[in-house]
Amino acid sequence: MFTVCMYALLMTISPYTPTYRDRVVPPGVMISPRVGGFDIAFNASDPKTWAKYTETLNAFLTPYNDLEQERKNIACTPGVYFKQDDREESAERKACQFKRSSLGNCSGIDDPSFGYSEGKPCILLKMNRIIGYLPGEGAPVTVSCEALKGDVDHFGAEEFYPYDFFNLMYYPYYGKLTHVNYTSPLVAIRFSQVTTENPLTIQCRLNGKGIKSDSVQDRFLGRITFTLQIGA
Amino acid sequence: MTVFTAEIVNPCVLTHPYNDDHQLSFEELEMKYTTSVTKGMTSTMAAQVLERDGCNELKPPKGTPEYIKFARQLAGGLQCLMWVAAVICFIAFGILMGQGNLTSYDDLYLAIVLIAVVVVTGCFGYYQEFKSTNIIASFKNLVPQQATVFRDGQKFNINANQLVVGDLVEMKGGDRVPADVRIVSAQGFKVDNSSLTGESEPQSRNPEFTHENPLETKNIAFFSTTCLEGVATGIIINTGDRTIIGRIASLASGVGNEKTPIAIEIEHFVDIIAGLAIFFGATFFVVAMTIGYRFLEAMIFFMAIVVAYVPEGLLATVTVCLSLTAKRLARKNCVVKNLEAVETLGSTSVICSDKTGTLTQNRMTVSHLWFDNHIHSADTTEDQSGQSFDQSSETWRALGRVAGLCNRAVFKPGQDAVPIPKRDVVGDASETALLKFTELAFGNIVDYRNRFKKVCELPFNSTNKFQLSVHELEDPLDLRYLLVMKGAPERILERCSTIMIKGQELPLDEQWKEAFQTAYMDLGGLGERVLGFCHLLLSEKEHPRGFGFDVDEMNFPTSGLCFAGLISMIDPPRASVPDAVMKCRTAGIRVIMVTGDHPITAKAIAANVGIITEGSETVEDIALRLRIPVEQVNKRDARACVVNGGQLKDMTSEELDDLLRTHPEMVFARTSPQQKLIIVESCQRLGSIVAVTGDGVNDSPALKKADIGIAMGISGSDAAKNAADMILLDDNFASIVTGVEQGRLIFDNLKKSIAYTLTKNIPELTPYLIYITVSVPLPLGCITILFIELATDIFPSVSLAYEKAESDIMNLKPRNPRKDRLVNESLAAYSYFQIGAIQSFAGFTDYFTCLAQEGWRPLLCVGLRSAWENAHNQEVQDSYGQEWTFAQRLYQEYTCYTVFFVSIEICQISDVLIRKTRRLSLFQQGFFRNKVLLSAIVFQLCLGTFLCYCPGMPNIFNFMPIRVQWWFIPVPYGILIFIYDEIRKLGVRRHPGSWWDKELYY
Repeated sequence: MFTVCMYALLMTISPYTPTYRDRVVPPGVMISPRVGGFDIAFNASDPKTWAKYTETLNAFLTPYNDLEQERKNIACTPGVYFKQDDREESAERKACQFKRSSLGNCSGIDDPSFGYSEGKPCILLKMNRIIGYLPGEGAPVTVSCEALKGDVDHFGAEEFYPYDFFNLMYYPYYGKLTHVNYTSPLVAIRFSQVTTENPLTIQCRLNGKGIKSDSVQDRFLGRITFTLQIGA
Repeated sequence: MTVFTAEIVNPCVLTHPYNDDHQLSFEELEMKYTTSVTKGMTSTMAAQVLERDGCNELKPPKGTPEYIKFARQLAGGLQCLMWVAAVICFIAFGILMGQGNLTSYDDLYLAIVLIAVVVVTGCFGYYQEFKSTNIIASFKNLVPQQATVFRDGQKFNINANQLVVGDLVEMKGGDRVPADVRIVSAQGFKVDNSSLTGESEPQSRNPEFTHENPLETKNIAFFSTTCLEGVATGIIINTGDRTIIGRIASLASGVGNEKTPIAIEIEHFVDIIAGLAIFFGATFFVVAMTIGYRFLEAMIFFMAIVVAYVPEGLLATVTVCLSLTAKRLARKNCVVKNLEAVETLGSTSVICSDKTGTLTQNRMTVSHLWFDNHIHSADTTEDQSGQSFDQSSETWRALGRVAGLCNRAVFKPGQDAVPIPKRDVVGDASETALLKFTELAFGNIVDYRNRFKKVCELPFNSTNKFQLSVHELEDPLDLRYLLVMKGAPERILERCSTIMIKGQELPLDEQWKEAFQTAYMDLGGLGERVLGFCHLLLSEKEHPRGFGFDVDEMNFPTSGLCFAGLISMIDPPRASVPDAVMKCRTAGIRVIMVTGDHPITAKAIAANVGIITEGSETVEDIALRLRIPVEQVNKRDARACVVNGGQLKDMTSEELDDLLRTHPEMVFARTSPQQKLIIVESCQRLGSIVAVTGDGVNDSPALKKADIGIAMGISGSDAAKNAADMILLDDNFASIVTGVEQGRLIFDNLKKSIAYTLTKNIPELTPYLIYITVSVPLPLGCITILFIELATDIFPSVSLAYEKAESDIMNLKPRNPRKDRLVNESLAAYSYFQIGAIQSFAGFTDYFTCLAQEGWRPLLCVGLRSAWENAHNQEVQDSYGQEWTFAQRLYQEYTCYTVFFVSIEICQISDVLIRKTRRLSLFQQGFFRNKVLLSAIVFQLCLGTFLCYCPGMPNIFNFMPIRVQWWFIPVPYGILIFIYDEIRKLGVRRHPGSWWDKELYY
């Protein structure tokens, strides 16, 4: 009976779209590099302290290499959702290019240390993928960061690459079976004006329609909090 | 009689020699206690002695301190299991905290809840015990007993507990002897020693020293015995616990308390559970180690499995079920002191019952009359609902007149509203019987006696064995005197020359004498006390009005009288008793009568109530019928046996066992309460579960020794009530049978409740096992399990206690305590591995459905655990490439808990329905008869819905609002359970005794 039920269950489940998606909406946020927890601490002058971060970032960015992107994905029209709903459910969907080079100082191309050697570290921000989700409801979701604890005055300003928002053309996502080469769009943040050696608690949040970033239960919904300690 | 009295001298009593005050002369006595046999003590002296000796009252047997009573409630078999589980939880919590990776406080919560359950149910049990103790306490005489005492030469009435050694007290008929008293003077003083020795014959007491043994000498009256008649004064020689009765009462505490059958059952059950838990735990420990978990992790798994195996709700269920029955019993006049005793009664296989008061009404009642050469039956029912005899005969008028006039008993005043049979009377038992009988026949007897003015009377004494009185006649014109006489029939007959037949005086020839003999033998053979009655109208010439009758000189004729008839009396059985005994018999319970009464009376009552059935013969009966000596009778032929105390004394325990084995119908007569203990022990040696009834202080050792001691609420002494496990408020044997029925029902229903409760243990455990072995996200959380165990499923499992019996349980043999266990292997196996397994499948189906519909396909789930539980990983991909934050996954996990919970609930509804019967089809038992069960199901569903959909639940108790269709996924499994069990029951019914029956009938 169990087998029959499980079989019946699997028959009724679509391989392309989950029956329900309400549990993953609104999207969560994740950063890279993440080594262990959400604490980034290093001494700029000592490569050993930040090597693990740059390695992680490099690995993370491999699929975003320009060549790779150009080979697999197409260039899309910025500023509009890239909808492909007219096609069959099982048909493969095209994915938009997100080139590593667009990350500028945070691409690791010019500066393989992602700014860590200068004490101006890069953090990559990624919004969790949700099938069919159209973030911002027409207007792109922007990113902003602020220091919550520590020497707040020494936080300065941050730089965003390529922009401080997620371009609409990367949405919606069609699921891993059909949207095979999909690469999540990223926002790289460079903390270039931090002037303290004490730990800073930084929170980056998404701003946009339909984004929830004040959930008490889920601290990773539409926002992410991490500590940053940059030694000399 | 003296020999008999000696039997109660218990070895323990003898080790503390009783003082020899009974041998002292009055002068020595006065010296010893600084008192006076005429004036009593001085009040100052009395106050000093009171200071020294304390109050004259029996101290309650060193009461167990309340905290120990409470502690005992916390230390049962199940309780211990839960304590161990709680400790394990603490250890697991400690390990996790020590490691520093504390993700949840589940272990701590679990430990706290386990302890809370034990404590709460402990309080419950303690409250129950406390309440019934209070009921007992309320029986104690609230009005302190008074005693008449001489102090400083003056007579005082003081509370009996203020009496001291050396006090001179006065006692009269109707009083209770206030302490052990050395008689100084007495007039026709008689005491009833039955509460001490069990013998119901009145014992006379006088100042004479007759025996060295204080218990046999006639010059001591014992504490708590009743004065029947006469007046006496005496010096108190012992008070309070130093009295004979006090010493015996303290003996009871020396008899060990037996474990109740239900306690044994629960221990057996705990053994099974603990064994299985450790087996499972160890297996999965090994599995976890081989899979590659670290030792500490595997250890925590081991502990979690052991704890998951503990049926947290069971303790509450058992306690509530038992107290429900206790409450039901209380309504039927059985107060249960100890909850477990409820069930003990159900497994009882032998009842040793008292005769007087329990089987009988404890009221001498006229049962037969012999006049006009016929034996007439009187109505002996308690409420006078029976048939009476034809009262039209002249002879009856004459006989009734003698019975009414030659009688010194009177009703106590102020009882006009009380029905005649229940009124209190001053006078001895047979006079009381006659008084009530004539009151019922003639109406107001006081008035009647006034019409026949009494001129003189001679009270009964043991030398002439008759009582007579002379009266004026009712008709004022008839100046003759009427002499009426009653007494031992043969003595009365000797004095008669005529006999009244149908109003005619006929000469008393040999033929009539023979008729008299036959009637006398017949009535005596019924075990009844027979009295003869005669009268004579004195001639006016010899005894004119104003004649000075002198009873000492006997200046009037006392022979040549006219014989009126015989009246016989018996303490008749209670109306409900024969039926109750019959019920016991069909229920396979042996009723043994143990009485201090005469063997013939005992046998007659036994035959009357059915303890000795029709057609059963004793060895003596067979000998008589076959006209052979008793020795030649094959003892195996005799079903019945009447043993008296004397014979019992000479028996070894093997002989007694043998006797009990050979004769199914036993009556022990002339036994002392001490011998009751021997009989109980013998029955227990034969493997029976013995219930004993008793009321006297002396019964308390036997009551304590018995598996269930039943004390009488009305006549019982406090000591007996203290020693007993149960108290019959109405002293009625029939109430015991009700108790047995309830006890058996609760055993059956507990079995059902336990089966129901155990079943869900498997669907609670398997998620964890699967979680460990295949590393899926945890399907069922610890708090959710606690909600199932302690919230939703409690009411349904308790509601099974309201289930009606499946078949006539009173037609079955008592359960064999060694074979018919409360929880046997087939119950555990069926619940765990069959129904429990189906429930697990239901849960997993719902679990996987819920996960799959949200995006986590079953195959992905396998091995997902470490990523799933990583609190830092906010981008775990599901089967569709969507990324989930930790909190999102956690809520998904709670959703899984909830659907698993709902699955178990739905299956448990089906489970509670199938548990209604163990053998019958549900269609035979009826779905809707047990209203409590139905409301329990509704309650369960409502509570489940509330838990799922109440806002705030996700973060407090890990319940998530789930989609409606997930409620229906387990329904097919529920139906499967139902059909599956119907098939099992069908097989059990169709093929009794087959392999199927043995394996699947629990």
